[in-house]
This record gives sequence, C-alpha cells and structure tokens, in this order.
Amino acid sequence: MADLVRTGEERLSRIRTEERAPREFLVFSLAGELYGVELTRIREILSPPPLTPVPRAPQDVLGVCSVRGLLVTVIDLRRRLKLEQPETTRRARILLTRMDGGEVLGLYVDEVHQVVRFPHTEIEVAANVLGGDVSEHVLGIARPGDILIILLDLASIVGT
Amino acid sequence: MTDISDKAREEFFSEAQEIVENLSRNLLALDAAEQSGTSDPSLINEAFRAVHTLKGLAGLFGATKVGALSHRLEDVLDDVRLGRQQLTAEVLDVLFASVDVYGQILAGEKEGSDDPIPAVGDLMGRLEQFGVQAGPASSPADEYDLDPGMLAVLTEYEEHRLRTNIEQGLRLYRLRVQFDLATIDKALEEIKDRAKRHGEIITYLPTGETTSAETIELDLLMASNDDLATLIGALGGDNLVIDEIPRQRASLGPATAPPSATRGTEVPRPASDRALSVAVPPAVPSEQPDVSLKAVTQTVRVDIRRLDHLMNIVGELAIIRNALARLSERLRGEGQRQLSSEVHRLHRSFDRRLTDMQNGILEVRMVPLGQVFDRLARVVRQISRDADKNIRLVITGAETEIDKLIVEELSDPLMHMIRNAIDHGIEPAEQREEVGKPAAGTIALNAFQKGNHVMVEIEDDGRGIDEERLVERAQTVGLLSSDEARELSRGERIGLIFLPGMTTKSEASDLSGRGVGMDVVRTNISKLGGVIDVHSEFGIGTKMAITLPITLAIVSSLLVRVGEYTFAIPVSSVSEAIVFDGTGVRLVDGREVMTLRGASLPLCRLDRLLNIGHETTSRRQFVVVAALGSRRIGIVVDHLFGQQDIIIKPLGKSLENVRGFAGATELGDQRVGLVLDAGALIDEVLAAATPGSDVDREGAWLI
Repeated sequence: MADLVRTGEERLSRIRTEERAPREFLVFSLAGELYGVELTRIREILSPPPLTPVPRAPQDVLGVCSVRGLLVTVIDLRRRLKLEQPETTRRARILLTRMDGGEVLGLYVDEVHQVVRFPHTEIEVAANVLGGDVSEHVLGIARPGDILIILLDLASIVGT
Repeated sequence: MTDISDKAREEFFSEAQEIVENLSRNLLALDAAEQSGTSDPSLINEAFRAVHTLKGLAGLFGATKVGALSHRLEDVLDDVRLGRQQLTAEVLDVLFASVDVYGQILAGEKEGSDDPIPAVGDLMGRLEQFGVQAGPASSPADEYDLDPGMLAVLTEYEEHRLRTNIEQGLRLYRLRVQFDLATIDKALEEIKDRAKRHGEIITYLPTGETTSAETIELDLLMASNDDLATLIGALGGDNLVIDEIPRQRASLGPATAPPSATRGTEVPRPASDRALSVAVPPAVPSEQPDVSLKAVTQTVRVDIRRLDHLMNIVGELAIIRNALARLSERLRGEGQRQLSSEVHRLHRSFDRRLTDMQNGILEVRMVPLGQVFDRLARVVRQISRDADKNIRLVITGAETEIDKLIVEELSDPLMHMIRNAIDHGIEPAEQREEVGKPAAGTIALNAFQKGNHVMVEIEDDGRGIDEERLVERAQTVGLLSSDEARELSRGERIGLIFLPGMTTKSEASDLSGRGVGMDVVRTNISKLGGVIDVHSEFGIGTKMAITLPITLAIVSSLLVRVGEYTFAIPVSSVSEAIVFDGTGVRLVDGREVMTLRGASLPLCRLDRLLNIGHETTSRRQFVVVAALGSRRIGIVVDHLFGQQDIIIKPLGKSLENVRGFAGATELGDQRVGLVLDAGALIDEVLAAATPGSDVDREGAWLI
C-alpha cells in the first residue's frame, strides 16, 4: 500500500540503493506499447482458458477461470490502466501473480515477448506523460537500444 | 516461545483447548450438582486433573500465563477437593471465569502475542481471595484412634494425604520400627521403598521411647489397601511391629481435633508429589509421576484445511469421472458398443467409490453442536447472574452434527441472541409473577436436523417483541416514514429488529449493547448460507429459528442456464422447479409476481437483475422456487441441466463486493460456473418489493 503514495523518484531511488544487482523483467505488450513487470512476481504464463464472466464485477475484471483447481480472477490490464483495447489475438496471454492476501490474480496482456535484464543504472525515472492511468503505477523506464519499455509496479496496480 | 516445532505447538493449542472445553463441561456439571444439592467429588477431581494437566503442558511449551493461572487454580481446586474451601457460587463464578480467561490466553499465545491480558490479573486477584480460609469443621481422621501427638505435627500435605487416603477407604497402619542411629537414613529409605508397593507412608515420628543409646524408635503412619497379614508378610521383621489403627465412630475429645498449628503455613510441596496425588490412586503409587503426553484415545486431530484439500482432490476426481462418462458416450456414438459399456461400467464403479470417499470426508468434518452449546450454557449462567435474573436453560439436540466450520462461526451470533433473550426478553422476577409466569425465565436452545438442514432455535418465555415500539423507534431514527409504517405486514414489523441501529430498550445495557446486534447476527448467519426467522408474541415470548446447511464443503446443486450463463443453485435452498410459460404473471408495485398454489411468488429475472443481456430463445422457461425459511422467490431460467454435487470456491478478494454469488465451481470441461447465493437474491428481490424500495436498503426489510 505504501507504494501508492510513493512517487516514481522515490521508488527509483529505492531500486538504486537497495538492489545493486540487475533485475529481470518480463516484457509484454499492451495496446501497442511495451511494458515490463518484475519476473519474480509472475508465477506462470498461460494461454487464456475459457473465462466465465462475472456479472456485477468491476469493469476491468474479465472473469474467473480455474487453473488446476485454483479459482483465478482475471483482470484486463489494459482496462485497469485505461488503455485502448485492440482486438484479441492468439498471442494473448494471462500472467498469474500471487497477491499478498494469497489470492491468485490473472493479468490479461496482448502478447508476451521475453525476459530482459536491466542493471539498475539503466532504469530511468518515468516522465509523467504516459497514457491512461499508467503514470500512477510506473517504477521507471528502460531504453534498451531504441525501444522504450515501461516498467510497472505490480503491487501498485493490483492493490488499487 | 522456544524453538518447538509449529506442529507440536499446534498440537499443544488444540490439546489445551480440548482440556479447557472439558473443564468447562465439568464445571457445568458441578454447578448443576451443587444446585440440586448433591456434590460429586469425582467431578471436582476431574476439574483438578484437567487444570493439573494443563499446567504440565504449559510447562512443556513455555506457556507461562497458562502455567501461572493453572497453578493458582490448582490450589483453589485442591482446597475444594480437600474440603478446605466450600464450593460456593462465588468460587464457581471464578472457576467459570477462568475458562474464558484460558480462552483469551490461548488465543493470545497462539498469535505469539506477549501483551498482558488484563483479565488474567483480575482473575488471579479473585483466586487469591480463596485459599486463606479456615479449616474444615471436622476431619475424617477424627474417626481413627490416631496419636494426637502425631496429628499435631502433620504438615498440611501429610494431613491431606491422610485424609485422602481415608476417604478412599484405605486402612491405616502404625509401623513401629527400631532403627540403628548410624544407619537410620538408609534403613528408613529402604522401608519406604518396600512399603511403596503396598501403599503410602504418610508420615513418621520418633516415639521417644528409646531402648538404647544407639537406636531410635519411629512410628510410621501408613495407608494401604492390603490387610494386616499381607503387610506383616511383606514388611515385618525383628525390629518392625505393625498394628492396624482401628476405626471408631465415636466422637473424640478436643485433643484429636485437627491441628491448627500447621494451617495456613505453606509447606513446600514438590510438584511430583502433587502429580502423584492426582494421577494415580494412592494405593498403587506410580514410579513416574510425570504428566504423560501419550494420547489415551485412538484419535487424531486434523487441521480442517487438510480436509478441504482432500475435498478439492475429490472434486478433481469428479471431473475425471465426468470425462469417463463422456468418453463412454463418445465411444457409443462411434459404434464401439463393447468398449463403451466397459468404460461405462468403469465409470459407475468409480462413481460409487468416489461418493463413499466424499461422504467419509464429510463425516470427519462433522461435530456435535454441543460444542457451542456448552459455551452458551456458561454465558447464560454468567449473564443471568450479572443481570440478576433467574434463568433456566433447557438444551435439546446437542448431539446434532454440523460442519465444524459452521459450529465455529455460529458461536458469536448465538451468543448475541442469547444475550438479547436474557437482557431484553426475560422480565425481572416481580414482573413475571405479576403476569402469572414462573419467576424463573426459561430459555430453550433446540437443535435438530431437518432434511438437508440443521435447525437451531432459541426460544424464551419473556416479554416478546413490542412491534408498536419497534415501528415507533424505526420512525424516530428515520428508517421508516409514517406511510411506510402503516403498510407493513406483521412479519415485516418484527423484521425491523434486523435493521441497523434498532433497539427497543431505551437505555443500552452492558450486555446487549446498543442495538448493533441483530443486523450483524443476520449477516453472519447468511454468510454461512443460513437464514433466520423470528416469531414473537408480545407478552408471551420470542422464538428465533436459524436454518443452516449441514456442510459448507460440498453442496448438491441445481445447474441452470440463463442466456449464455450456467449457474448453480444449491439444492438446499430450492423447494421446487416448475415449467413456466409466461402466463399468469401479474405486476404488483411494478414487480412481477406469479401465483403458485394460491400463494403469490415474486419473480426474479436473473438477466435483468444481473444485467446480462440475453434474448429468450425458447418459449418454454422454468421457474426455480428458491426458499429460505418462510421467504421465497421464483428464479426464471431458460434451461435446467439437473443436479450435481459441487465444491464451492469463494470468489477472490477482488470480487468480494459483488453480491448475489456464493462463489464459483468447476463444471468440468475446464469451465467455471458461478454459484448463486439464494439468500442474497431473496433479500434483494424482496427488499425491492417492499414499500419505499427506491432506496437501496441492502435488503433490510426482510422476513
């Protein structure tokens, strides 16, 4: 929860001071942009199973599904971050992440690319010009080569 | 806490909990025995033993608070046991209070909290007041021709050993022994050792009759079950003479009165001796007085989560079973008749075993409601004393079994309702007598099984609910307009007690609080899939009836389809399903209502209620009548798929605010279906149908 009130700079300085080792991020795309979340927070990547929509659920909840007997609530990250929602393709995936309370959430993303390792020095403070609600949940930005990856703070996203 | 494994600690807590529960039952029995004028020493001994065992356990696990309290309680119980302390109502009060304090301590220690618990100090203070009592009027030792000189120097411990032995019907013997002064220590130990097999040496004392300078003569007082001849055979010798001390009923002179010199002085009593005094009959003293942790019964304690885990596996096996059924169908479709019927047979026998297994696991989860009733009985006793009301609690059906999880969650709501009954229901004795009721109020706590449900009723013969005042009160606090008030039916008026902020007693009491009760009670009950109905006659009494499912683990459900959705409705809340052709539907207050066997049935269109767009494809639909207690609605569905046993999994935290669903379940084929929460739907539909329904009152008007 404390993450909610931290600014991007604070988060970044935490990254810089606490962890000298490079960190691994899973890179995926949402509405045509590249995003990354810390790999350690992701338990599993799934092809979307049949989802059962839940009436009356919040807008960004796509539905529930069962993963080997475990009931998982699937959230559309694009809706959560108030981004565009392009057509679903076969490349869509669900990232499973376990929350603090033990609940397992599924995060729906357009496509998963790869795992990228960033030394802390390559993570920049995020500019506040990102679309949707993204800027509220950003850890920082990385620019390997000429591409831009927005690193998201997962705890902040699913905590809200 | 030391580095004891979690498992051992877990074991300690559940064992301690069990002992405390036994103690509680024991005290209730003691209380009942005292009130009926009979006193049963074995009950006190059992209570003593329980506390003693707890002390031992607490020592092993470093639970110092439990240890300290047990130590003090043990002293008091010991005094009671030895007749030094009368078992008065005050003593019983303190003993009952200790049961609650144990609960608090255990809960605290379990969470690893080291915070002081104020109740412990209080209780210790109250316990302190006992134990400085005067001695008993007479001692059973008076009946024996004991040497007053010997009696006068008995330590307190020796004296109570003497008394205990006499009470246990053992014979007393005097062993007169000559010892050589040089070897007396060794020789005395030797005799004690030999005597141990036949009884207990209570004390010894020099007789003062020395025959030579090198010898000393001692009198040993011994209690034994054996007769004189046996003892002489076992212990007798040249310098040892044994006499039986005769029992005489005649009253003796003042010289044999119990010595007072030693009273009140605390004689150090080794713990092992005390263990000995309770753990085994004195006639056969054990070599190992330690408290044993070895289980006496063939019982294992199981964490309920493990059972949940097993149940989940059963659920997954059921999915495999269904796959087998489909495979058999498919084979038949492909013309492979023989293979198909083999698979079918396999499926059937798998199905039977699975059902057995499921029932087996369910059975393990079941516990008698008596567990919670015992706790309630204690509360009734306490509250009725605090409120100075004489109350008779009548319990029936304590053996009725229900899911362990339900029992745990039931305790608080029932407690609340009982408090209400005592505080608001039962009138003071004078008032009762004026209206011709017996001075003592009666509260009946009844439990019984009714089909797939367990009913728990709390009934009192108190003043009943004053509907007029309820309505007035609701208007005063702005929950009801006067127009609405006029239109309420009788049931709806009584149902006002479930509104937050209602209380008919103008001054709040310490006992039932300020009317924050019944709405919480109803919420808690409905979380368990239960429903509560109230019947009350003003002046005569109130009856609250709770209908609960037997288990939460596995639920037989009706699968239905509405549009694209497959929903499960627990069969326990379905009374029937009928074909529905859309005719005979009337609009009442803008709500659809149909008539079913002469009674009107409010309809629930799930597609509209849940806002799931769908076009009715078939002209023929069904109405599933969902009923809980006396309230019912008709849920309109497109299709019935039949019945299936399902395991309900709760929706995650991110969906906790979504109303209308009890959870989700796997339907096979990797599909998940939502389970309708019949109680919530009934609340919602009926709430909307009540006057003034435009405001969402969270289903406040029920019944």
